[in-house]
Amino acid sequence: MEDKIRGRVWVIRDKDGNPINDIDTDMIFHNKHLAITDIKEMGKYAFGNLEGWEDFPQKAKAGDILIVGENFGAGSSRQQAVDCFIALGIQAIVGESFGAIYFRNCVNAGLPIMVAPGIAHSPVQSGDEIEIDTTTGRIYDITQGIELPPAKPLTDVQRKIIDAGGLLELAVKMR
Amino acid sequence: MGQTIAQKILAAHSGNDAVEVGQIVTVTPDYVLSHDNTAAISKKFEKLPIERVKNPEQPVIVLDHTVPPSTAQYANNHKQIREFVEKNGIVHFYDVGRGICHQVLVEEGFAFPGALILGADSHTTTYGALGAASAGIGRSEVAAVWATGEMWLMVPPSVKIIVHGELPRGVASKDLMLWIIGHIGADGALYKSIEFYGEAIEKMSLSSRMVLSNMAVEAGAKFGIVPPDEKVDEFLKGRATREYEKVFADPDAEYEQTLEFNADEVVPVVAAPHNVDNMVKISDLDEVRVNQVLIGSCTNGRTEDFHMAAEILAGRKVAPGTRLLLFPASSRVLMDILLDGTAQKLVEAGAILMNPGCGPCLGAHEGVLADGEVCVSTTNRNFKGRMGNKNAFIYLASPYTAAAAAVAGKIVDPREFLD
Repeated sequence: MEDKIRGRVWVIRDKDGNPINDIDTDMIFHNKHLAITDIKEMGKYAFGNLEGWEDFPQKAKAGDILIVGENFGAGSSRQQAVDCFIALGIQAIVGESFGAIYFRNCVNAGLPIMVAPGIAHSPVQSGDEIEIDTTTGRIYDITQGIELPPAKPLTDVQRKIIDAGGLLELAVKMR
Repeated sequence: MGQTIAQKILAAHSGNDAVEVGQIVTVTPDYVLSHDNTAAISKKFEKLPIERVKNPEQPVIVLDHTVPPSTAQYANNHKQIREFVEKNGIVHFYDVGRGICHQVLVEEGFAFPGALILGADSHTTTYGALGAASAGIGRSEVAAVWATGEMWLMVPPSVKIIVHGELPRGVASKDLMLWIIGHIGADGALYKSIEFYGEAIEKMSLSSRMVLSNMAVEAGAKFGIVPPDEKVDEFLKGRATREYEKVFADPDAEYEQTLEFNADEVVPVVAAPHNVDNMVKISDLDEVRVNQVLIGSCTNGRTEDFHMAAEILAGRKVAPGTRLLLFPASSRVLMDILLDGTAQKLVEAGAILMNPGCGPCLGAHEGVLADGEVCVSTTNRNFKGRMGNKNAFIYLASPYTAAAAAVAGKIVDPREFLD
């Protein structure tokens, strides 16, 4: 994993500008697409069941970063809810807190994910360019020239898995 | 420093004498579960430069999600899974018809006190009812366990929930769990291990305890553990796949929080659309007409759940304009309710008896809702679109409340129908 991740952000808020909490895996990747097993096919359904964000797959571009609210990815263990963002090229996810299985799924899929309490309530706006220092957790909003609430640094094991590109890749390396 | 049940089980499975909260440990789970998603997991696995599953006794594979398959794609997934099972010599495989994975693992004795079970399904927490530590993991993780036999876990902090008293007549453990989640919220136990204590829990059947452990994940919990007692021993006699020793917390174990509830205060409740923590007392609801009632799932599809339903439905009729679907959690449950006459009473009342499996809980088939329709369901999630249609409304409830809704055609307090 890069020590510094830089990219454009999408802040997942409702139309009144409040963070959307408890976004469950059915809102991220709806159960009607469960028969799909090819990750490349999953991107176009990301947020397909999240009011106001249905057009996200058309708006997102590779390298973008997601900023989310509390308990993001609650619900099922559905890994498609992570894989759909990987298919779109999302570079990292930063949020107030995450569903426990969701957090693991991200790490194990090699997608950097960080907990930054306060971030969804900070002045950061969709479209801003931010820089995340993954070693210290510092998050800087380049567009607005301000510090954002910092993230908790990842543990060594989590870094190792993400560095390897995912858990399976690490398992193969360590064999 | 004393250890919680979660700490002890994780220590025992990682070769440690003791572990600390927050520590990352590499564990060897006793079993690793997967279901219809084995198709996708096996695709990930087969990309690895690994010939075969390392320990073919470790995976337990149960086909339950879309059974029998409703489309050619699901059917092909099942076929691919059977081929994978054959090729890898997987010992524990249960094909279409045996039941929902969580019920099958319990019935077949894979879940026992002190066991560590990981599974590619969030409701893997269910086995906590038998004193096991069990949690959902992702697909890549299951593939990694198949390859290496091991997995990393963070030792979770523990929360103690004490439930005093006794649940009143007509109030089920489902009401209690919705009550608890309503109070602590959908992230009230995020990343944490819940341990359930108190008189109300001790008095409960294992089936009722399974409701609590099953839905612990709806409060974000990693584990939902009930300290094992003689009821567990009795159930596992001649059934447990291994010898076990019951694991209890030390008296000086450390809990992040202790929450106390009084069972005598619990009343029939629902989780109203579209969040599990949106708990509402039935007495506070406006009139809600009901199009479909579902009794079943890994949460409430056991024999005692159908007995509760029959207490209300026997000798009565399902209201016109309301459909009642029954999904026994396993072939064993189906056999039980066939043999003791419960199924006959329910079908006479107008119920539709379906096959063991997950049914429409996750929206794939067998009872998808129309736009604007309302379903009262004994399942575990009422997220928008969960049952296949985002323009429908799901109320989670106990088997008593579900049965009463079927008779009345609207949500009512089930105690109206009980002696």
